[in-house]
Amino acid sequence: MKFLLISTTLFFMAITLLWSGSGFAAGTQYNMRVDGLACPFCAYGIEKKFIKTEGVDSVDIDLQKGLVIVKTHEGKTFKEEKLKEIINDSGFTMKSVTEKNL
Amino acid sequence: MKKILKIIQWLLFVVLVLIGVIYFIWISSAQEPAYILEKTWGEKGSAKGQFNEPTGITVKGKEVFVSDSRNQRIQVFNPDGVILRQFGMNNLERPMSLTIAKDELYVADYFADQIKVFSLQGDYRRSIGRPGTGPGEFSIPGGVAIAENGDLYVPGFTTQRVQQLRADGSFVRQWGITGEAGTFGGKLRYPTDVALSKDGTLFIADGYNDRILAIAPDGQLLTKWGGPFAMNIFGPFNGWFATITGISIGPGGNVFVADFYNDRVQKFTPDGVFLNAFGIKSTGPTHTSIAVAEADDGSVFVADYANHQIQKWRPGK
Repeated sequence: MKFLLISTTLFFMAITLLWSGSGFAAGTQYNMRVDGLACPFCAYGIEKKFIKTEGVDSVDIDLQKGLVIVKTHEGKTFKEEKLKEIINDSGFTMKSVTEKNL
Repeated sequence: MKKILKIIQWLLFVVLVLIGVIYFIWISSAQEPAYILEKTWGEKGSAKGQFNEPTGITVKGKEVFVSDSRNQRIQVFNPDGVILRQFGMNNLERPMSLTIAKDELYVADYFADQIKVFSLQGDYRRSIGRPGTGPGEFSIPGGVAIAENGDLYVPGFTTQRVQQLRADGSFVRQWGITGEAGTFGGKLRYPTDVALSKDGTLFIADGYNDRILAIAPDGQLLTKWGGPFAMNIFGPFNGWFATITGISIGPGGNVFVADFYNDRVQKFTPDGVFLNAFGIKSTGPTHTSIAVAEADDGSVFVADYANHQIQKWRPGK
């Protein structure tokens, strides 16, 4: 009986944790196509701009595809104009952007 | 018809003469035997001895210091590639070019907008500068050079300038106009790195102008080189560049330049006379030779960004 009680408690705790975890992950991912990312001095400059932007959870650079991939915190979204502005401030031009909910 | 043929003949002649002039004036041939690739070491990863985008390199005696940028650390190797120690994991955000002066290692931290100073054993000593675009402030500094009197020379990639600062970080003067990229009128275009020779000449890697500027201690331009007229004409020929990412002075005073998009290092006399070129061609979307340093015995170590490794070259005979 005691074993059953502990197991049930642990099960509900796990469910709660998973629920809250998925809630934290529910941000947005932006895939921005930017030309000329081969030079790290430039790519790092873009990366730094996004890292220092409020609401950004992570930034990845995919050199093969020429993509800047930005994931945001839960509920945080960016308008396309804001993304363009950040890329422009780094000395680049954003060619296109796609977004998806995480 | 005869007239047209004559015009074509003349045009061909003019084109050939122009090609000849360009070849003899602006395309140099090697003045030394070719360098030989002795070995490479490292691969992508985060374990000791592995790299995730090496971006800076310097040599002191029998030790090779490498900026392992995405792993946020400095790794130290012997000249055969055996790892000796690592440090900086708690102090560095995105380390770039390195230099050693008076037994201290200076690291340009691209994300922290500071120059971080360590002992050669890896003890953190201090930071110089703060984020910003004002005098004495940094915005993505890619490199650093230290003068005999302790003054710092720091290029700002997007601020389009090179600042000279006292050892305490106070502003002395700058080259380039803050925030204005250009080729003429004293402007720079995304300067990436700097180096100082023993006589106090400052060499600026004017990265996206594809040229080197040599500045006398009084601040005046001594010479510049890189393609025709050193005016932002890039190319794959000897003495031309395609985005310079690193520069260093060897023990003998020669200038080594990391010619990133050409995947090679080029070696020059302090006056800009082309001596040699060597490198490993990239097979991917990015490039190889990002930073370079020469050891006392003439070996040249290159940080290979694309392959996450270090190249060791020796002079040919």
